Parts: sequence; C-alpha cells; structure tokens
Amino acid sequence: MPKVVLASALARWLPGAQGASGEVSLDVSGATVGAVLDDLFARHAALRGYVLDEHGAVRHHVAVFVDGQAIVDKRRLDQPVAPGGEVYVMQALSGG
Amino acid sequence: MAARILVSTRKGLFELRRVDGGWTVGATHFLGDNVALAMADPRDGAWYAALDLGHFGNKLHRSDDAGATWVECAVPAYGDGDTVGTGDGKPPQPAALKLIWSLEAGGADQPGRLWAGTIPGGLFRSDDRGDAWQLVRGLWDVPGRSDWFGGGYDWPGIHSICVDPRDARCIRVAISCGGVWRSDDDGTTWRQTADGMRAAYMPPERAHDPAIQDPHRMVQCAGAPDHFWVQHHNGVFHSEAGGGDWQEIEDVPPSAFGFAVAVHPRDPRTAWFVPAVKDERRYPVDARLVVARTRDGGASFQVLRQGLPAQDAYDLVYRHALAVDDAGNGLVFGSTTGGVWTSDDQGDRWRMLDARLPPVHAVAFTG
Repeated sequence: MPKVVLASALARWLPGAQGASGEVSLDVSGATVGAVLDDLFARHAALRGYVLDEHGAVRHHVAVFVDGQAIVDKRRLDQPVAPGGEVYVMQALSGG
Repeated sequence: MAARILVSTRKGLFELRRVDGGWTVGATHFLGDNVALAMADPRDGAWYAALDLGHFGNKLHRSDDAGATWVECAVPAYGDGDTVGTGDGKPPQPAALKLIWSLEAGGADQPGRLWAGTIPGGLFRSDDRGDAWQLVRGLWDVPGRSDWFGGGYDWPGIHSICVDPRDARCIRVAISCGGVWRSDDDGTTWRQTADGMRAAYMPPERAHDPAIQDPHRMVQCAGAPDHFWVQHHNGVFHSEAGGGDWQEIEDVPPSAFGFAVAVHPRDPRTAWFVPAVKDERRYPVDARLVVARTRDGGASFQVLRQGLPAQDAYDLVYRHALAVDDAGNGLVFGSTTGGVWTSDDQGDRWRMLDARLPPVHAVAFTG
C-alpha cells in the first residue's frame, strides 16, 4: 500500500491539526499519483484546494515527489506509484 | 462607537480593542499566515478572513463567534474554459484565482449573500455565506474585458464593491485597471460608468477611455449613496450622481497620488486620503506621514499631521488600509511598515498604536 507524506506546512491545515507542526504520513490506495491523491482527498476533502489548483494541476509552488523523484508535469498525474511507494507532498521553498 | 478594529496583515489577523481612549492589540488569529483582508458582516455578525497562503492558494475562513473558532469555507474558482488576456499585451491564459481582493456583504434583504472581487478580474457571488461561489458571468463576459490589465499585479482585479444601501440589487465595482462598472439587476447586466476619469499613464488618445482607468479604491457614502469618491492612479475623482459624471480634483495636498480613501457615512462632502509621492516612488511626501481631509467636496483640503510621524516615515497605506467608523468620527489606517494610527475626532489628532505589526493590508471597524 503506498504512503503519502504531507510536509508540516501542509499537514497543519488538516482538520484537527489546529496548526500543530510535524509531518503526517498516511497509508493510501492507488497506482498513480492522481489515484493516490484522490484517495487522500476522499479522506480530507479540504486538502484538494491546497495541493491542486481549480483546474486540477498541482499548484505552482507545491512539489510532489514519488520515491524521491519530482513529478515533471504538474498537469499530468498518471505517473505510476508502486505498491510500496512513497508520495511526498511539500511546499516549494520560499520565505519572507 | 466601534469596539474592535480588525487589522489584516502579512503575518496574521490582529484584533484591536479599546483602552483608555486608545487601542491595544487583543486577540490574534492565523498568526504567521498572510491575511489579505477581513470582513465583519453587519447582518449576522459573522467574521470572514481571506488568507493568501502562497504555496497553497487562497482560502476563506468564517467565524460565528467573533474569532473564537473558525471554519474554512469555499473559495471562488474559475472554470476550465475561462481565460484572461490583458490590454497590455499579455497573451490569454487559463484564469485561476490569484487573490481575493475584496469581500462585501449583500443587502439586509439578501441573507447569506456575499460578493467577492478577485484577481484576475472575476466577480463572484455566494448565497450561502461562502460555502459555494458562482462567477458573475454578466461582468466576466462583457465585451472588452480583454482590454483590462493589471495595476501592480500581472492581472486585473476587483478591489472595490459597493452595494447600494437603497437597493441591494444595485452593485458597483471598481477595477484596476478596468474602470468602474454598475449593475442594477443583481449582477445580471453591467455597464461602464468611468466616464470623466482620466488616465495620465496611457497614450493621449486613450487617456479618457473608461475601460482602462485605474481606480485604486472607490467608496460610497452610505447616507448619500449617489456620492462616490475614488482615489485613482493619477488623481482623486468625485461623483455626485452615482458614477459616470466623475470630476477630477487636482489640488490635493501634498499629492493627488495614493491608494486609500474613506468617506464620511453621512456627509458626502467629507473624505480622507493618505497621499504619497506619485507612482514610481510611493512613500510619504518629504517622508512626513499625513492625511488629507476635505469637508467641502474637494474644494479645499486640510493636511492633518497631529500625532503622525513628522520625519523619516516611509509608510505607504494600501487601498483597504484606511477606514472610518459608522459614527463618522473614528478613523484608522495601517501601513506597509506595520504602523497603525487611530483618531477619534475625524483626523484632527492621531494616536499611534503601541505595536510593531507586520505589513498591513486592510483594516475594518466592527462592533
């Protein structure tokens, strides 16, 4: 079963997190990035708008890694995810 | 007398409370997050906070207990076929929400109704307190929208929404840079009402084109709703007939440039501005922070400085960062360098908030 890891900047917006920091890891189902994210959003619907824009693409300043490799096309989420794979969702680095 | 001021900043929403004739920082909300604006709905007391989270997009939160708890609402969203192109030559591209730039309550007879103005130029309507939003097609589809362009941002945006207190189906919006538009049928049809404005930044033959005017902020007098004031990119404009008859007021001391304007809730001839060195520089003239006030419809102005920094002040006041209370005596403004000043006497005397806040985007009085 693949795993999704949400970086702390994202996990703090999960219901019940109340701003607490720290990564959150969830076991999910799905054989592609899109299917894995859909399963994530099925459990946490509000997260969809944090990860994807209104057209379904990964947000410009959000990065998605599959087993350590960033997805190359944020509008195509059909990249395969292995049964034991890890999908890491994080914010692109910036500050201020 | 307003009991609270909501100050929306780059690093959170700050609640100011009254103490000993002045104000102090009370509760904080969304500390560390970029709060673009906050709105207190006078109809049901709900508070709304629009967050611009950068990486994770724009969010809207609502509180029914004066900030004790918040729930996340929906945000305006553009459809797959919606595109935005601009009159300054940027090629069309899919429209996506960049910023919730204005948020206003509908009429007392429209419970649940909210209007949201956005970058890149869409006006959205909710009839359920922000749980769902619909793009106002009547304005989005007006011929010539592709002539609009951004002012300070890449894309055009709606920063001012005036719901007529006599008839809430009458709505006016001001757009940077797309002029002033009016609907009399609850947003179904729209017409341009920026005639009389002048754009000094355009080629001369386009200077009076209403569709490319850059009103920085538009306000309506609640007690005399045909009267409007606009702080425009290159001047101050006043209307006494509901728009379309804008008169330019050129002699605003110390400068006709600025972003913010507030109008007295009952006396339409009284308005306040926070001037700055024009256009390319954008800091107070001679680094002295002042407020300009007219009491006679712009025929004359007083430069108000008592209690404001007289030197070395580089505070810029954004378009939503000046407000007047319902009584017409209380004023507040906040700056890009995190200063907040309040007045209880229409600006004659000012008091600086004893705090160093993050950059201020918006201020609002509430009960």
